[in-house]
Amino acid sequence: MSHSSVNINDYLGYVHKFVQKHMALREEQINLFIPYLEIRQFAKKQVILAGGQVENYLNLVVKGLVRKYILIDNREKTLQLATEGHVVQSEHSFYRRHASDMITEALEPSLLISIRHDNFQRCMETIDGAEQLARQLMTYMFIKKDAHYLYHVKNTARQRFIHYITHHPQMLQRVPQKILASYLDIKPETFSRMKRLLKVNY
Amino acid sequence: MVRALKDYLGRFIALSDEEFEEIAKVAEIRTYDKKIRLIEEGEQERYLNFVLKGLVRKFFLNGEEEVITQLAREGEIINSSVSFLSGEPSQYIVETIEPTTFISFSLESITRLYEQDALWQRLGRLIITDLYLQKETWELDRAAYNTQERFIRFVNDNSALFQRVPQKFLASYLNIQPETFSRLKHLLRTRSVVANKANYSN
Repeated sequence: MSHSSVNINDYLGYVHKFVQKHMALREEQINLFIPYLEIRQFAKKQVILAGGQVENYLNLVVKGLVRKYILIDNREKTLQLATEGHVVQSEHSFYRRHASDMITEALEPSLLISIRHDNFQRCMETIDGAEQLARQLMTYMFIKKDAHYLYHVKNTARQRFIHYITHHPQMLQRVPQKILASYLDIKPETFSRMKRLLKVNY
Repeated sequence: MVRALKDYLGRFIALSDEEFEEIAKVAEIRTYDKKIRLIEEGEQERYLNFVLKGLVRKFFLNGEEEVITQLAREGEIINSSVSFLSGEPSQYIVETIEPTTFISFSLESITRLYEQDALWQRLGRLIITDLYLQKETWELDRAAYNTQERFIRFVNDNSALFQRVPQKFLASYLNIQPETFSRLKHLLRTRSVVANKANYSN
């Protein structure tokens, strides 16, 4: 993590917007969270959470792109590509406090608004509305996770490919092809072939 | 009977007798014969169910195939969770395997509890987080372990369920072809599989 002069107070509007997407809280109430938040910046290809470490942070991506993956038989399986406005962390490790089998890294220079585990707990205990906010955020993540999973298993590789490039065309520019192929669970050769067939400009 | 629910909730939060009473008085006992569906695809989930006695499965349909995502026995919670949380039509079916008695909570009673006290917001958040982590574990196990490893992990972690759950359901839950499942079961009897279990347990 690099040190810089970036201050959380420069991102108040961003925090307000994020919170209000999940719960109707007044700005003064939201500001009570600010002292517990921190800005973290990472360079391209920098590891944010190494495997075997305990996840200490819940992160909101403000700028950049964070990849979460696990190693399966020495192959990287990409689980999440988090861009602006997305929440990313190794959930199991954060909530259960054990070593993470997931790894997170910045694919682009990235700026995160993060809350450390102990501060997260403190907010829950001391700020009115924090529990409800966290519950609604978790509910949102739960619903999204399920939709993502069901979409994935109910559709073919070709359907997943077309759907993804239609809805996230910019990701083809931002993410190396083999990572995208792993994320979509498509063999790299198949990915290249589909790209050619569909005349997708990379 | 109440004891089992109290133990379950105690995993998340320490409740006084008075607090527990608040929950107990909105609980409904629901009893079903075996092979009865609590919710069909397309219906909206209105209950959160705690299994007091019995065995239940949850699955979705991928084409013709039933994909079992959860097996719940005594002391566990089961419902069509995403529909319950989102209000959207269920994509899952919940069906009893054995005659089952639930302690159930209606959506309305839980919503009322949330409005009463942040304590219930907290309990709700912790239970949703737990369900989220369970879902993630189930998904990751499917991706990270090969057929034989998934089989051995299940036998080691859930030997009681292994005896109780019909083989075709276990095979679906573990994403193992029925024929492969029979072969692994045979190997298990000859103990050649279990001898390797130390390699897989974490």
